[in-house]
Amino acid sequence: MAPAIEIENLVRTYRSRKGLIRRRTTTVEALKGISLAVEPGELFGLLGPNGAGKTTTIKILTTLLLPTSGSARVLGFDPATQPGEIRQRIGHVFGGDRGLYDRLSALDNLRYFADLYRVPVREKRRRIGELLELVKLDGRERERVETYSRGMRQRLHIARGLLHEPEILFLDEPTIGLDPVGARELRETIGRLREGGTTVLLTTHYMYEADELCQRIAVIANGLIVAEGTPADLKSRVSDRTVIEIETFGVDDERVDRLRALPGVASVATESRDQALVLHVQSPTGTDLVPQLLRELDGTMLGKVVSREPTLEDAYVELVREA
Amino acid sequence: MIRAFWSGMRIHWIMFSRNPFDLSGVLLWPILYASIAYYLLDAKNDPELLLSASLGAAVMLMWSLVVIGSAGALEQQRWLGTLELLVAAPVPFATVIAPISVASGAVGAYALLATLVWGTLLFDVPLAIEQPLAFAVAVPACVLAIGMLGLVMAATFVLYRAAFSLGIAMQYPVWIATGLLVPLSVLPDFIGPVSWFLAPSWGFRAIQESALGLTPWPDIGMCLVLSAAYFAIGSLCLRWFVQVARARATLKLT
Repeated sequence: MAPAIEIENLVRTYRSRKGLIRRRTTTVEALKGISLAVEPGELFGLLGPNGAGKTTTIKILTTLLLPTSGSARVLGFDPATQPGEIRQRIGHVFGGDRGLYDRLSALDNLRYFADLYRVPVREKRRRIGELLELVKLDGRERERVETYSRGMRQRLHIARGLLHEPEILFLDEPTIGLDPVGARELRETIGRLREGGTTVLLTTHYMYEADELCQRIAVIANGLIVAEGTPADLKSRVSDRTVIEIETFGVDDERVDRLRALPGVASVATESRDQALVLHVQSPTGTDLVPQLLRELDGTMLGKVVSREPTLEDAYVELVREA
Repeated sequence: MIRAFWSGMRIHWIMFSRNPFDLSGVLLWPILYASIAYYLLDAKNDPELLLSASLGAAVMLMWSLVVIGSAGALEQQRWLGTLELLVAAPVPFATVIAPISVASGAVGAYALLATLVWGTLLFDVPLAIEQPLAFAVAVPACVLAIGMLGLVMAATFVLYRAAFSLGIAMQYPVWIATGLLVPLSVLPDFIGPVSWFLAPSWGFRAIQESALGLTPWPDIGMCLVLSAAYFAIGSLCLRWFVQVARARATLKLT
């Protein structure tokens, strides 16, 4: 069976001009030649840090941007030259607060988009009712969207994207800014879509989300795909390692660099957590680096020190760092 | 496509009715424009001229509401983040944008009648319509033609982010070139042919001639011809500008 989405050597460059008299042109290469394929019915995750090129990829596939070079096929059609063929067959949901008519009710929003997506009049009411139930907004549909919480808005976005029963759903960071409960509810909704056989391309930078939902993942960094495989495949890249987590207070960059240079240290990633800076030190399994690390951090205020198995996030951080 | 068109008009009206600023403007502007008509021409002693001035002011207001309404609505779509969703919808983009212009024009029709009523109540403008049937046809024909001219303008608003400022700037040239603000006879000769291509000229004449009992039907016909031409031009421009916006990545405001 042909892939639902196929991308080959996709490049996208943004140009911006500044200055009235002396015009200066700045060029940013958002995508530097990525290739990937998503199979029908698959929930595929595109992971990467901010500015990696995830949204640019989705915008090209959803016909909103033209690629600079390379090719893409969505359900066999070219998004650059056959946008009309693709638009009726796909749905897309962008994360964040925007993309809805705030002064209208959820029902009016859905009715309008149902008409734009040519949902037959006879099916419109039934379909809207089903979707409101799916995203758990039934009973609240006549309230204005401006009164909705972020989680409710995001669920309404999903309902809007599914109105015309698309074959592929593009979800661009759908849980961004949601509280943990809202994010979990949304992940449940996405999980139900996967069970229903909808092809989903999900972008996120939350590793646990990708781990929980995606069948396959591609990691994108600086406009390039740096790894691709199942969550287990990616985790296996660091399975021969142990991670030591050290909670520090007031450690400087120079000292972190010194830790990186220690023999046996594979990598050191940092994470701000409240007032603490948590160091994630990766080392080959079987090496006990804790005494050496503590010696190097002598004089620094320390909190918890924990040794644990590597997670998908560790694999991801390692991949992005190497890129 | 027709369903998407009506649905778009409905949504635009609901959004408009829920914006207190827009609503208060529509209530106050007719009084302002009725005053302009009365004081600008100082035509107290010429009832026919007074009625013509009121109608001219009312059509000026209609144009303003269309061009500012369309520009404002498109800028709002950018801020709401819905413009990209509208572009990505499978229906032709012109059927998404045209309802915004026509709905603004329909608000303009109300404003036209309100300007005439205020003129009658405040300044004794004689509200005697000689050909009511022609007047009833001329007003929607004028709304349609001005709405479709708004569609052509809206195409540029899709391309440029400063849509609202551009919309405001576009009011005055059309007021002048169509003879609504000052008679064409006092303007340079080349303005005359320009006015032939602008819907408000014919819309104003259709309404004026039906009110004064002259020959409005050719002007109504011109409104319809121009509407069709504007729709064709607007659709082509929209298609082209959306393609440019896809290349330049200017659909989003961020």
